[in-house]
Amino acid sequence: MSEMTMNEVEIETNQLSSKDRAELEKAQPMWKMVLTQFMDHKLAVTGAVIITIFMLIAIFAGTIQSITDIDPDAQNVGNRYLAPLTTAQVGQDVRETEIERFITENPEAADAVQKALVTKEIVAVAEADAIYELGAKETTEAISALQSLSLKEAAGLISLFKSFETFHLFGTDELGRDVFIRLVYGTRVSMGVGVLVAIASALIGLLIGSIAGFYGGLVDTVLMRVTDALLSLPHIPVLIVIAAIDMSKIPWLKAIISTSNESIFKMIIILCLFSWMSVARLVRGSILSIREREFVLAARTLGAKDSTIIVRHMFPNVIAPMLVAITLGVGESILFEAALSFLGLGIMPPTPSWGNMLNNAQELIYQAPFLAILPGLLIFLTTVSFNYLGDGLQDAIDPKAIRR
Amino acid sequence: MLKKFAKGLCLVAGLGLSIQAVAAPTNAELKIGISQEFETMNPLIMSMSASAYMYRMVGRSLVVLTPEGKWVTQLAKEIPSLEKGTAKIIEEGGKKKIVANWEIIESAKWGDGKPVICQDFITSHTIATSPTVSVGEKEQWTQVEKIDIDPKNPKKCTFKYEKAKWDFFTLAQFFPVPTHLEKPVFDKYSKQKEGYEKNSNYVRNPTNPGLYNGPYVISDVKLGSHVTFAPNPNFYGKQPNIKKVIVKLIPNTGTMEANLRSGTIDMISTLGLDLDQALAFDKKAKAEKLAFDTHFVPSVTYEHIDLRLDNPILKDVNVRKALLYSINREDLVKALFENKQQVALHNVSPKDPWFTADPKIITVYRYSKREAGKLLDAAGWTMGKDGYRYKDGKKLSVVFQTTAGNKTRELVQVYLQNQWKQAGIEVLIKNEPARVFFGDTMSKRKFDGLALFAWVSSPENSPRSTVYSKAIPNNSNGWSGQNYHGWTNATVDKNLEALDLEFNAKKRADLVHEILKLYTAEVPVLPLYYRSDISVTPKNLKNYKMAGHQFYETNNIEDWNLN
Amino acid sequence: MTTFITRRILQTLAVIVILSYVCFYLMSLMPGDPVDMMVASNPKITAEDVARLKSLYGLDQPVYKRYASWMGSILQGDLGYSRTYRVPVQELMGPRLWNTFLLSAISLILSIAIAVPLGVLSALKPGSRTDYVVNLFSFGGISIPSFWLAIVLIILFAVKFPLLPAGGTQTIGAENMGFWADLKDRSIYLILPVLSLSIQQIGRFSRYTRSTMLEAMRNDFIRTARAKGLSRSTVIWQHGFRNALIPLITILALSFSGLFSGAILTETVFAYQGVGKLVYDSIIGNDYNVAMISFVISVSMVLLMNLVADILYGFADPRISYQ
Repeated sequence: MSEMTMNEVEIETNQLSSKDRAELEKAQPMWKMVLTQFMDHKLAVTGAVIITIFMLIAIFAGTIQSITDIDPDAQNVGNRYLAPLTTAQVGQDVRETEIERFITENPEAADAVQKALVTKEIVAVAEADAIYELGAKETTEAISALQSLSLKEAAGLISLFKSFETFHLFGTDELGRDVFIRLVYGTRVSMGVGVLVAIASALIGLLIGSIAGFYGGLVDTVLMRVTDALLSLPHIPVLIVIAAIDMSKIPWLKAIISTSNESIFKMIIILCLFSWMSVARLVRGSILSIREREFVLAARTLGAKDSTIIVRHMFPNVIAPMLVAITLGVGESILFEAALSFLGLGIMPPTPSWGNMLNNAQELIYQAPFLAILPGLLIFLTTVSFNYLGDGLQDAIDPKAIRR
Repeated sequence: MLKKFAKGLCLVAGLGLSIQAVAAPTNAELKIGISQEFETMNPLIMSMSASAYMYRMVGRSLVVLTPEGKWVTQLAKEIPSLEKGTAKIIEEGGKKKIVANWEIIESAKWGDGKPVICQDFITSHTIATSPTVSVGEKEQWTQVEKIDIDPKNPKKCTFKYEKAKWDFFTLAQFFPVPTHLEKPVFDKYSKQKEGYEKNSNYVRNPTNPGLYNGPYVISDVKLGSHVTFAPNPNFYGKQPNIKKVIVKLIPNTGTMEANLRSGTIDMISTLGLDLDQALAFDKKAKAEKLAFDTHFVPSVTYEHIDLRLDNPILKDVNVRKALLYSINREDLVKALFENKQQVALHNVSPKDPWFTADPKIITVYRYSKREAGKLLDAAGWTMGKDGYRYKDGKKLSVVFQTTAGNKTRELVQVYLQNQWKQAGIEVLIKNEPARVFFGDTMSKRKFDGLALFAWVSSPENSPRSTVYSKAIPNNSNGWSGQNYHGWTNATVDKNLEALDLEFNAKKRADLVHEILKLYTAEVPVLPLYYRSDISVTPKNLKNYKMAGHQFYETNNIEDWNLN
Repeated sequence: MTTFITRRILQTLAVIVILSYVCFYLMSLMPGDPVDMMVASNPKITAEDVARLKSLYGLDQPVYKRYASWMGSILQGDLGYSRTYRVPVQELMGPRLWNTFLLSAISLILSIAIAVPLGVLSALKPGSRTDYVVNLFSFGGISIPSFWLAIVLIILFAVKFPLLPAGGTQTIGAENMGFWADLKDRSIYLILPVLSLSIQQIGRFSRYTRSTMLEAMRNDFIRTARAKGLSRSTVIWQHGFRNALIPLITILALSFSGLFSGAILTETVFAYQGVGKLVYDSIIGNDYNVAMISFVISVSMVLLMNLVADILYGFADPRISYQ
């Protein structure tokens, strides 16, 4: 594009009608230009679509659960490590619990069915145990037995029995839980942690890096030595110290932290603490070189305030590397979370995250490859998508890259 | 680019197919995979399991416990006993003590040909009890007060024991060290803090054969990588069949199987696979007709849940019983372990002569949700609308902790959480790295609900440290003792004190049974299962017998045969 | 310049000392000291044992006193003794540091050699087919979880097609076979770990090279240089690449600083005898001397490399000056 000579541009514009020319000369709003640019980058758009889908999955995990009617914590230890696309029968104890609940909630319907079952001699036990006895049979057999009663009271029971047969799109895990719904909930945790951490650490890095780069001197020295120090500080002891802190005992955190979400909070804090430094150094490096550029000098001569120079003149110039850093950061945070589960500092069970699902599966990579492949694939897909998104955004936002 | 990559893959595939499957190992060499780190093998100081596993190949003690649970002699000619008159109880300064005669077998020699003599035991006793040497568990050395050598025979001596305890002869870890090599080092460095351990020949010159008296000597050692063993021509017993043994560290259990299949190792030791991996490997090895056997042997390791007895909810014995009734341990063992591990009844394992399953003695808790419901109702916890139980508006909710990163435990934990949920008990999981869990939460008694972990013991081991009321860790006893649950029972205390001094085996068992009766009636602990030891061996390995306790199967390595 | 370097070296030294104290303090903050750990695994250890061992290890002293005595012995050249392995630290760490250095240096050099040209190439023709493929490859590399990649490599090249060893550093018992045989043996063991480390690094480096190069090539002076009729390679390398160097130097310096700290996951999965797993174990097991030495090494490397990066900025971009 830069090869295009001025002459060619001249010629093209000359051929335009006055109306088109007016259209062209009308200043386009910034966002429109960015959008047009962005839409040109096919893979970035694909990435954005994939990320949007994952975001929607994360937000609507609860809805997906109620539609599919699968509980992410429902275990079925008789059917562990099932292959994808299989059906399974739920365990006996769950059936009994469910039947018991049905009987207490619908005593009349249950009573009618029990009587019918015994009188039609489908089961040969006392009335009180009739439905339980049916529960011990194969689900299909039990359903056809119930249907043969042709009782309208049996309808509720039939649908209950139908729920005893579960379909597993992606198979089951080490406790016979449905992998699909766990991945859906894992999306919520992993994406949430990844995005939050990447943005937070990029902002911290931007702030510290730009202040250090702009002011130089003592400020730079102090800030950069702190950055160096944190960068070189060994992670593991800090992680262990944090793991030992009982956050629910800290008064001002009490309101939002409970035993069940404490590990997620710790995860976010740990990840933020350890991931802003490289952004800071990157930003500082760029600002150092921008500081000496002519336009900064010009702005300063014109009497612009420091904050104006930093925000108006320097930030736009560091946005490109920042975006790369943020988008890389999301993937890195997701991977870091997986590595933390490896050290026993990850998200606590039974809450699923891609990281801990992948980590749990790695030792059984021979036996149940699907268990490792699926979360691995999701991590891979998300990271790649974020990278392409960043790539596209970088091209689109950067004023110098705008193709006219 | 992608095409090139694909082409490359095809090329590699072509090459790969022309290579033959891995051959079965022979007596020329056996490579054993181990997943735990090992340390310098100084028998006085080492504390890691992997080191103990390997040391049994190169060093022998006076007596040892067989896989069948019997005490037999090794370096000793016979086991002293009161009945035979080779040991007797004496009184000294108002205290009862024991004096026992030990004699070392004639043919026992160090790897350099020097005989093993009583002086070697005196040397190790002197070193281990020195204040500058960091021996962990000193009691196993200090229980012997004095060793006197027979002036006529350097292989004969009498041990004087500090207390008159029935198990005085169980000196399986009372290892000798060669006086002619180690004594000069100790004399030179004994004043310096940790001076001996830094300069011992076991550190400076570990391939010196004179340091070992077992069937093998160490011919090469690289910490963090491997140890190579060569037969010891001066071994007192029969010469080993296998000419070279290599123990190789593979820190990642996920790649253990890959190493086995690729022939980098020939067998996986007891300290190798997880149960889940072993179960899966066993199935696949059978399906693919691989030349490996997977062994599952019940061990004395006891997985259980300690209950914090001063927790207001768990204080009530009915709640504790309900917790136990509402978990289906038979199903757990069947579903998760495929019956390769056994349901635990109490803290004594079936491998132990003290074990009992007699319902007249102990209370047996079979899974019964109804029973659990009754007990909870009686305790005032009534079922609420949300499926959890409440009392005075308070939810029946307890915190459940274990070591994070231990896959099997986390699996069991989530399984149990689900079962308690069905009984209306909310269980919140809060796991910590082993480091924090054992080093702080348990040892300083900071847990306040349920804590899942294991005790490793040996048969006929007094449960004193875990149920004695004086073993409740607190500030004044320096946080020592492992009675984390905080159980106090006068009868138990009395029996524990009597147990050590009881020389009649039948009466000892009765004392233990009474403890077990109280243990199962008051439920300070929820017993889960006894763990199994697992190993994988080549099909042609004969005479391999797993021990299931801390005196590993490598103790019989001279019998192993690959022909 | 010289004063700047001297000043920075002094600063760096001060930071190292301060950080080493911070690390020492952090280690002591971790719950459970070595003796507590021992007690947890052995029910037979008594209260007396605990008191005796704590005073033997000096754990009953306050932190600053322990730190002072540790620093004292370091200054005398005594690196101390590993309590976990029961050998002197230099004997334990020396060969492992070398192994780790070999592994990380080879993969780093390999990745730079591949990634920088790839990045430049794709930056010169943004949107082209080459750019697509390079991008795909580098994004793929970045996004693969490392242990996953390592395990897949083992399954492929050691089990399915047994061409390479599944793990280890060199063939056991084959240490003194002459220089070339030794070299060959070690290289075979290095292939898979280097491969798995490099695939990830190549992705990172080529991404950064591409984006900074793209940035640099848009500058006005590039257009001017082209207009002047300078040759294509002069424009790219002298004008373009030189301006892309600043961010590249930052990233490379960060990577170089990890040369001695090791890649825990890669080393663990390949049972490679490096320092990564050792450092992790020493911290978990509270093996003070080993952990502290490795802290000091890794801290010094990071600080040193940052210093180098700052000096290189000056060479790469004459506008950046240090007083």
